[in-house]
Order: sequence, then structure tokens, then C-alpha cells
Amino acid sequence: MKQIAAVTADDNILSLAWCGDSLAATPSTGEILVLDAAGRNGSALAGHGAGNGESAWFGGSLATCGFDGKIRWNGREIHAGRGIIERVKVSKDGSFLGAGQGKSLLVFDQDGNPAQGLSRLPASVADFAWDPSDSTRVAIVGAGGARMWKFGESEPFARFDWGGASLRVEWSSCGRWLVTADQTASVHIYDFTRDYPLHIQGYETKVRAMAFSADGKRLATGGGSVITIWPCTGKTGPEGVTPVQLDGHDGEVLATAFSPKTGQLATGDGTGMVLIFTFEGDKATRKRLRLDAGISALAWHPEKDWLAVGREDGAVSILSL
Amino acid sequence: MFSVGSRSNFLTNESCIKPKGGLFSGMDRTPVTILTGFLGAGKTTLLNRILTEEHGLRIAVIENEFGEIGVDHELVINADEEIFEMNNGCICCTVRGDLIRILGNLMKRREKFDHVLIETTGLADPGPVVQTFFADDEMKEKLFVNAVVTLVDAKHILLHLDDSDEAREQIAFADVVLLNKCDLVAPGELDKLEKRIRAMNALAKIHRTTNAGIEIEKVMDVGGFNLDHAMEVNPHFLEEGHHHHHDSHVTSVGIEADGDCDGKKLNEWLSRTVREQGADIFRMKGVFAIKGGLDRIIFQGVHMIMDAANGGPWGDRPRKNTLVFIGRNLDRVALNAGFRACLA
Repeated sequence: MKQIAAVTADDNILSLAWCGDSLAATPSTGEILVLDAAGRNGSALAGHGAGNGESAWFGGSLATCGFDGKIRWNGREIHAGRGIIERVKVSKDGSFLGAGQGKSLLVFDQDGNPAQGLSRLPASVADFAWDPSDSTRVAIVGAGGARMWKFGESEPFARFDWGGASLRVEWSSCGRWLVTADQTASVHIYDFTRDYPLHIQGYETKVRAMAFSADGKRLATGGGSVITIWPCTGKTGPEGVTPVQLDGHDGEVLATAFSPKTGQLATGDGTGMVLIFTFEGDKATRKRLRLDAGISALAWHPEKDWLAVGREDGAVSILSL
Repeated sequence: MFSVGSRSNFLTNESCIKPKGGLFSGMDRTPVTILTGFLGAGKTTLLNRILTEEHGLRIAVIENEFGEIGVDHELVINADEEIFEMNNGCICCTVRGDLIRILGNLMKRREKFDHVLIETTGLADPGPVVQTFFADDEMKEKLFVNAVVTLVDAKHILLHLDDSDEAREQIAFADVVLLNKCDLVAPGELDKLEKRIRAMNALAKIHRTTNAGIEIEKVMDVGGFNLDHAMEVNPHFLEEGHHHHHDSHVTSVGIEADGDCDGKKLNEWLSRTVREQGADIFRMKGVFAIKGGLDRIIFQGVHMIMDAANGGPWGDRPRKNTLVFIGRNLDRVALNAGFRACLA
């Protein structure tokens, strides 16, 4: 493992996002940094006042957002309302940028024009995920659970509103699985092929980190110091299966990311420990790296074996494995 | 995992330890002040006063009330209030999702805040706001409720008090009541109004104000449930408790008894009481002498959630028990009898 670049932002790293060899590091407050291909600090974009939201690359430019209710992208500033924006996300085909603000999901096309979004939703948008196979469909979570919407329709096309509240959501790239991290120490997994929900409880803490592998066959969840890997294959997926539990962390797992190139899993905890798991069948071997501050974000390069590691003290490292 | 209304043996001597969290103040946690009150009661005026005064505090403000009068401050965060039900309708598991998400993010910042102010909407139920800092582990670990401050429009509150649950609950939940716009009401009327508020909430500190003018520390430095404060107001609520007031919906029931309690019996009775009546109990506060224990036990609760902490040694003070319930349709006789059955 070799460090090929490093930079330090003003605050806890909230999110990391790759675009080719450029890496965007978004801190909780202050300027958002973009490292160039050589690992240099290429540019710094203005922050969003009291707090930044998670950034995303959209059409080769970085879209940023925050507690000031603004989205900045490609020289534009969009101020749709006073409510906070916690993150922007780009549809898998790259055609739309979405942002949750209060009870609305704002959607913009590549020209920055408002596209068909959703408004007057039954609950505020805590998080959302694009359908990987259809950029006119999204899953939105918040109070009540998850609801799946198609733009232009007045009712959700699917509901997994289990009555409680969900804070984060991921849609597997294969399109079959949706997972929500809940306000309680649990996750809900939905199998679209069977229209079937699973409620998984028993985590030590609220699940603050989760990720699907690129092929959608594995789901890694935090929820304490142990990482739980749920198999998302076969007819019933995780149902009735004993998951693989990976230990080695000293603190609560705060970040997880699967490499789209190698399938390796990187996990980071609040004590500064990074573990890299390599899977061979049912077995996993691990490498360990100890850093000086808690790990708050991880992101694999889309094509190389580079791992970006963001820390609570604002430091960002790019490691070559 | 915390279970509803059945936290076992939290009042026995063995558990007389420093609390990990809850509503009690803690040096390493950030204080949160919750501003409630009907639209027009003066919340934004008070907020502007706090933010413009030279107090040297770094304050984050979460505003649910998007009023016409803007608050000009770099750390004002606007969000719609969002109720999260965590356990299918269980009242004590109702928290505020917007606060959990925003504060979760704010607490990750390297540069921490000295204080968080939450301005609720005029029709907000304070219950879920307070419970957020009790029921969510992360919030409990990093923040504590300094005070629920309720602004009351002295001129107009009587229009709402009889037919608005929210108006009564905002008063019932208060640690501090600012009886505002006093310049618009005759002193005799103010006395009557204050008496009525006192009958609903025997524990709150009531300040009469005009234009929400008050020393900031009376709002920002309340310090959560403070033992000295509890003892200070104790004689008053007991005295008020014997009078009949026409606000039969929301009342305070004060109980005082010399001697020691049986910790096990007290724990069982409190657990049963909140399990059966928690929906109608807004707040509970108390100080107990537990048989065999050298220290005072400070107790506080919101609906069905209870918490206890060590209040330090009794020393030379006479050992006695003090307990206050603030709630709706409380049975004073039954509560007194239930408590007295717990005496050792």
C-alpha cells in the first residue's frame, strides 16, 4: 500500500467522489477540494455556509450543495428554497442531477434546467437513490420508510413503508435490491423481483455505513465494530442465510466501499483503522492500515486500485494498493 | 437497548452512577435550548436578541418557523419539522428526524458549537423535540437539553388556552416561561394569567417580559434539570397543588415525603405509572432518598422515558423525597397514594 497523494481540508471529510483521476473531497464545512490527476490540489470550490452536503460529479463538473439550500454546478447557482440540501446524486446514466429539499426532490438536466422532479411528497426526503436501470424512477426514504416513485406519476409505484423511519438508501446496480439504513439499529432490504421486504435487526448501533458490491451480489453493512456481509444471490437472497461477519475493527464502522474493479471491500472506523478485505469464495483475507484520525469516507477509483480515504480531521489520502 | 417504561432498577443504589446521557446536563455535551410558543408570541424577537447580544457564544440555530422576519445569522439552518415514529405509534419513540439529521451532521464539525437553539413552529408538539435528545443514542451522547423556553403572548394566550392542545402542552413542557407582551396587559390580569400558568406547570420559571427582553443567561444557562432549581421551586408547587384550578386538562401534581423510599418499589411504581399513563404525562422531575443510599437521586422523565442520576451526598440535609408530575388528567390522589406506598 503506497500513498500517492494527500491533502487536508478544513473539516471532517463528509464525502469523496472520483471523476476519472480527479477526486473531490467535501468537508463538513469550508472549501470543497478537487485534486487533479497528479494528486495535486487542483481547485477549491466555495463551501455552503453552516454546512456542506455531499457533492457529486455531473457532466464532468462537480455539483455541490449544503445547508444554505443552494446547489452550485458548472458556474451556476440554484437556490430553490430555504431548506437544507444534504446531498446531490447523479442518475446512473449521468443524465440527471437530483437533490432532496424538504418534501421535494429537485431534478436538473445536463443544461441545468429543472426536469421532472417530485414535490409535495408525504414526508421530507432524508435520502434517495436512482433506479440504476431507469433514470425516471427513484426510491425516497424518510418518515414511514421507502417509497418508489416514477416522475410524472402522482402515486408511488411501490411502497416499502414499514412505519418507522429510514435515513439512508442504496439501490444495487443490478436493480434487484434496495437497502435502507434505519433510525433504529436495523436495515430493511427489499427484493424487487419478489416485491418482498426483509427487516434485519440485531445490530449493535444504528447502521451508518453500507454498500453493495458492483455486481449487487454482496451487501456490506456496519452497525457496530463488526461488518456484516449479506449474500444477495439466489432466489431468496439474504433471507434465512447466516451472514459473513468480519471483525478486526476497534470502533464503530463509519465508512464502507466496494471496489468496482477488484471487488475488494474497504471499511473504516472511528478509531482510524482501515481494513481492506479480499474475497475468495466464502473466505475473506484482510489488510490493515492504521491512521491518525477516525475514518469518515472511503471511495475507490472506478478503474484503478486506488483508494481515497477521508478522515474526521480533514485529511485525505489517495492510496495505491 | 432502552426499553419503554421498564428500565430495570434504575433507582436502586447499585445504579447510582453518572449518567451517560439523557436530559441531564453534562460538561462535555453541547446544550440545546428549545424555543416554543404560538406564532406571534415573540420567538423570533427573542432569537434575534440572543444572536445579536455580545455573549461570545458560537450558536447554531435550527429554524422550523420560516417567518416573514428573517434571522440574519450565518449559522441559521432552515428545515421542515419531521416526526419519526420509531416503534409504530409508541409515543415515547417519537423523535424529530430533521433534528437527528442536521445535528448529526453539525456534530461532525471540527469547530464545535457552544450552544444549539431550536425554534419550533407555533403548533409544534415539544414532546418529540425533547425526546430526540433522550431516545437517540448519538444525540444523547453529544447534546443535552438546557431548557424548553416557551414564549406566551400575554395579550392573546387566553384565546388559545382553552381549545388548543399545543398551547397547553408548550406551557406544560416548559422549563422557562416568558410571559411576553406584558406592556399590553394590566398588572391584575397578568397576575391571574401567571397563576393559571403556574397551576399547569408548577416547576417552570416564569419571567414577565416586553419585547422578549430578558437577560440571556436566564434562557441560555438554565442547565437542564438542576437540583438546586428543583429544591428552590419545591415549596411553591406543593402549595399550589392544593388549590383547585379550572385548567383541569393540564396540571401539576407535587408530592413530598420525608424519609426514605424503597428503590425497588419506587422503580416498579414509576415504570407502571409511565407505562399506563405515559401518554398523558408530559414531564416528571424528582429528587429521591433511597434506603441504604448516601446520595440524592435526581429523576426526570418525558412521557414514557425516564432517567436518573446521582445528585451527590445528602450531607446534613434532612432526607426527603420530592416528585412532580406535569400532565393531562392526572389523578392527584392516586399518584400520592402510589408514591407513599413506595416509602421504606
